[in-house]
Amino acid sequence: MQDTAPAFRFVQERLGIDLKSADAAAELSSLGVDSLSLLELMFEIEEKFGVKVDEDTPPPRSCGELAGLLEHLAAGRS
Amino acid sequence: MSARRVAVTGLGMVSPVGASAQDSFDALLDARSGLRLYEPPDAPRPIAVPAGVCADFDPVAALGATQAARMDRYCQLGVVAGLAAWRDAGLAQTADEDRAAWAVAWGTGMGGALTYERSYRQLFAGGRDRLAPLTVVQAMNNACASHLAIALQLGGSCSTYSVACASAAMAIGEAFRRVRSGAAPAALAGGSEAPLAYGVIRAWLALQVLAPGDAQSAAGACKPFQAARGGLVLAEGAAALVLEDWQRAERRGARIYAELAGYGESCDCANLVRPDADGQARALRAALADAGMAPAEVDYVNAHATGTREGDAVEIAALAAALGDRAPAVAVSSTKSAHGHPLGAAGALEAVATVLALHRRAIPPTLGDAAGLDPACAGVAHVIGAARREAPLRAALSNSFAFGGSNAVLAFRA
Repeated sequence: MQDTAPAFRFVQERLGIDLKSADAAAELSSLGVDSLSLLELMFEIEEKFGVKVDEDTPPPRSCGELAGLLEHLAAGRS
Repeated sequence: MSARRVAVTGLGMVSPVGASAQDSFDALLDARSGLRLYEPPDAPRPIAVPAGVCADFDPVAALGATQAARMDRYCQLGVVAGLAAWRDAGLAQTADEDRAAWAVAWGTGMGGALTYERSYRQLFAGGRDRLAPLTVVQAMNNACASHLAIALQLGGSCSTYSVACASAAMAIGEAFRRVRSGAAPAALAGGSEAPLAYGVIRAWLALQVLAPGDAQSAAGACKPFQAARGGLVLAEGAAALVLEDWQRAERRGARIYAELAGYGESCDCANLVRPDADGQARALRAALADAGMAPAEVDYVNAHATGTREGDAVEIAALAAALGDRAPAVAVSSTKSAHGHPLGAAGALEAVATVLALHRRAIPPTLGDAAGLDPACAGVAHVIGAARREAPLRAALSNSFAFGGSNAVLAFRA
């Protein structure tokens, strides 16, 4: 994963959330993303982009945290 | 006899012959087959068998991408049929009344068979070491009932019956009991199945009960009651009924399609796969007794008949035993000849067909040729080849007889 654009597009596709324009503080749960959806999303991102989320990483709760995690993965630091 | 009566106020269906209950019933009346030659995708050793496929079903269009991705196909079909029944009953999706006691009863034989197969393929053939996190909740047999309960805020009993080919009929019967007893003012009942996985087809082939067929003959491959019958045809599909306390339905001005008047069940307690006429007759008599219905009232039976050599003739023997002198006058057909055998969902598709036969006063035929009737299946008034329309029907039965010997009969009144 070289940059975040494909992952952001994937999130938009799956959850209908545009992470570029979304309020960073917006809670994912208030946007209809429950823990199961998030689990599935992260699994799909790992599979699709060949990245691995560190098991110690807490699940993102807000749009900002999700965007941050994807940026982290894109930078290859996870 | 209970004072409470149970009204059927909503119907939904997604089947190989149509995307709705009414469209499917129209196709059945017009003797249109939904069967075709089916090749399961990505099969390691390609096969093609006649099957009933809901080819036009688009889960993403019907449910949205997020919901559809969370469900196995059996659940997608079931939720779409269940919600359609609910809308048909004129009930709002969000609760505008207290639904704390309202029930869901669902039937499925194989639940998430496609999900299991996809997952095993990834593990055993794909060399993967982990599965999608939602695998468990997609595959579980009770997922469909729970998705419906959540969507419609039905807070009473939420049960799933897995009784092979009698699954949905038992679900409908149990829901009927809950409404008649007063435990639930209303219930959503039905069943769904999506069994067209490569491994499932291989397993049924191994049992040697599938009807043969090629691209030309697949549409007519299921020939219940006919001498040329060669077995059953697997199918996917879903159907649902809204069952409602009669007085409640009347008070809110609901359209009442028919009365579900009785439910009977029995076990052959004889053999896992060979059906038993005595066992089936016990379920038939139990349904009639439960409904307070005399054999003379019965004008139509939607038969279980799957098109197997042994099963069809045994069912006719059971009808002759239970209906006695009335049997020769009773119209009988098997709509499986058109929609195939959706296993655990069969009882729901056929209950809907039976209700619509009463409501629209028309009997859908067994597809095929009346001249080809097997003498071993004679003794009732078969409706073969063409529908009987303008048929004033008073009462009708829907039979579901399962591998394992579990029998369920639903008795409806116009």
